Amino acid sequence: MSLSAVEWAILGLSLKVGIVAVLLCLPVAFALAWLLARRRFPGRMLLDALVHLPLVLPPVVTGWLLLILLGRNGAVGAALYDWFGITLVFRWTGAAVAAAVMALPLMVRAIRLSIEAVDRRLEGAARSLGAGRWDAFVSVTLPLCRPGVIAALVLGFARSIGEFGATITFASNIPGETQTLPLAIYAALQSPGGDAMVTRLSILSILVSLAALLASEWIARRGRHARV
Amino acid sequence: MLEFDAWKRLGDVTVGGRFTAGSGVTALFGPSGAGKTSILNMVAGLLKPDRGRIVADGSLLFGPGVDLPPEARGIGYVFQDALLFPHLGVEANLRYGERRSRGRPPLIGFDATVALLGLEALLTRWPATLSGGEAKRVAIGRALLTAPRILLMDEPLASLDAPRRAEIIAAILRIRDEVRLPILHVSHDRDEVDRLADAVIAIDGRAAAG
Amino acid sequence: MIRHILLLLALIVTGCASEPPRAPVVLAAASLQDALTEAAREWTAQGHQPPTLSFAASSALAKQVESGAPADLFVSADEAWMDTLAAKGLIDPASRAAFLSNRLVLIAPAASKTALTIGPGFPIAAALGDGRLALADPAAVPAGKYARAALEHFQVWDAVKDKVAAAENVRAALALVERGEAPLGVVYATDAKASTKVRIVAIFPADSHPPITYPVARLKGSTAAEAEAFRAWLVSDAAPVFKRYGFGTLPPR
Repeated sequence: MSLSAVEWAILGLSLKVGIVAVLLCLPVAFALAWLLARRRFPGRMLLDALVHLPLVLPPVVTGWLLLILLGRNGAVGAALYDWFGITLVFRWTGAAVAAAVMALPLMVRAIRLSIEAVDRRLEGAARSLGAGRWDAFVSVTLPLCRPGVIAALVLGFARSIGEFGATITFASNIPGETQTLPLAIYAALQSPGGDAMVTRLSILSILVSLAALLASEWIARRGRHARV
Repeated sequence: MLEFDAWKRLGDVTVGGRFTAGSGVTALFGPSGAGKTSILNMVAGLLKPDRGRIVADGSLLFGPGVDLPPEARGIGYVFQDALLFPHLGVEANLRYGERRSRGRPPLIGFDATVALLGLEALLTRWPATLSGGEAKRVAIGRALLTAPRILLMDEPLASLDAPRRAEIIAAILRIRDEVRLPILHVSHDRDEVDRLADAVIAIDGRAAAG
Repeated sequence: MIRHILLLLALIVTGCASEPPRAPVVLAAASLQDALTEAAREWTAQGHQPPTLSFAASSALAKQVESGAPADLFVSADEAWMDTLAAKGLIDPASRAAFLSNRLVLIAPAASKTALTIGPGFPIAAALGDGRLALADPAAVPAGKYARAALEHFQVWDAVKDKVAAAENVRAALALVERGEAPLGVVYATDAKASTKVRIVAIFPADSHPPITYPVARLKGSTAAEAEAFRAWLVSDAAPVFKRYGFGTLPPR
């Protein structure tokens, strides 16, 4: 199976959007997971629900919400444009934002589970050995969260490169900018004579997802062998 | 030298005590649930008392307007469950505190600690593969290497069989005699206390004589 | 318990079998959405079964017909897609008739003050700034193809072709301009008329692009009884409805 230049470009764009989305999402997901796992505060349940919203809302609705918030005339989008000249609609950055929002709940869940699995007394032990709060977090809690973070990255990446509804609603289907693999397949499906392209792009999607899953298995396995 | 006079309300009970602990092994003796571990946690800074004073070697650890964080107290703590870091090997666990001793002069070097506690064969192992007794010894070594002013030990002989108990008792006595580190040791076992302690403080959930 | 489930299943199956005769399924170009919906309402009010209408880009609909979608009538926004289906033997050639016409306009969001006069080399790229020109996909969708032809006619296509926001159909292009995401767009006159959130900046002269005509035809796989009657009504007596929405009507053959 050989790909045309256009198809390589679509794959490249999908990977770029997926990786950026996950990297963008990771610190936010970690912070939220930490808050939800370790802190009690008024409104905690509400925050938990909001974080999970993209998981249960129809993706188109999420895309539409992004549009009214971050679109050219949106509450935040207008400010982004006026102060920084940043537009997200029609741009790959917009596709990355849409993908990041859709991946967030999955990443928060995976990371939160691994934070909760860390024995809190280990942090106390670290403190008694002279580690400050941040030091204990970085030298003890964080490494023990590693399996959860890796799981989050893989899940998030898979979700990101598969994202369709929110992307097409928010960022639109612009070849070269926002036309990731799913959007390209959709466009090809709508074009008479596009079936061959649909087949090639679908095979690509399957290969990319498989590669991500295998990579995560391998990384997790390496971590396990080091301990025993 | 530790001066302890602090109390905390935990649910229905109030835990705490009022005593001084000098050099040698001081045992906090009492039934389970009397609050002995809570007292250790208050000394270490892992549990905040409602009121009182804790002074170690003349430094105020806890008092009116003062509550030093655990990392600043210089208190070594050997936990009942050892609590070794599972993601680090034995040697890395031992060295964890060494790097964080904040300028306190080391009491005993790394190799001497390893020799004292018989840890040579364990250095390349991982915590998950250690037996209870081995893990305890590594935990003791780890705490020693932070150059603490006092060593806290929570039921160090619990759930060990006779040969292991003998090993740990020997280690504790060597620490008392060779390293000359004051030890505050919690136990509910009368025999253990008789064997090890130079002074005994009875804790039964109310103010104790010391 | 099992008996009740079997009874329920039997009811469902027989229920499916004894459906009333199917109403016509019509696949129509997106720009016909408002007008055709109202026409269908009038048809129904006359005592007929309500037709099922499906609106999308003509290219997407042609693809569905090719793939064997069970529909009765196809209304395209250009002759080319109808030709494609005719070449594949998917329509009844005797039923084919062009019955509507349209104009192409340049639009901007209602609050915009952009003023442009259409002429050779007109400064549309400059007027776009760093924004994009909203069009239906110029590669396949009729509205986009007409727009490209018109822009090529005035020699400005090369200047704007990299600034195009290609939408799935002409209504989606309209929505982009309505929302202010695109400062300019090219859509049909009927679309601009249907929306209160856009204003017409200029009208493309009719000779700058191939004539915009809408052919209708009955599909080979059509089974609905009233399909032909509905088609015949659309090309003759439905004219006033389409005129109200701004379409031009062509006399029936």
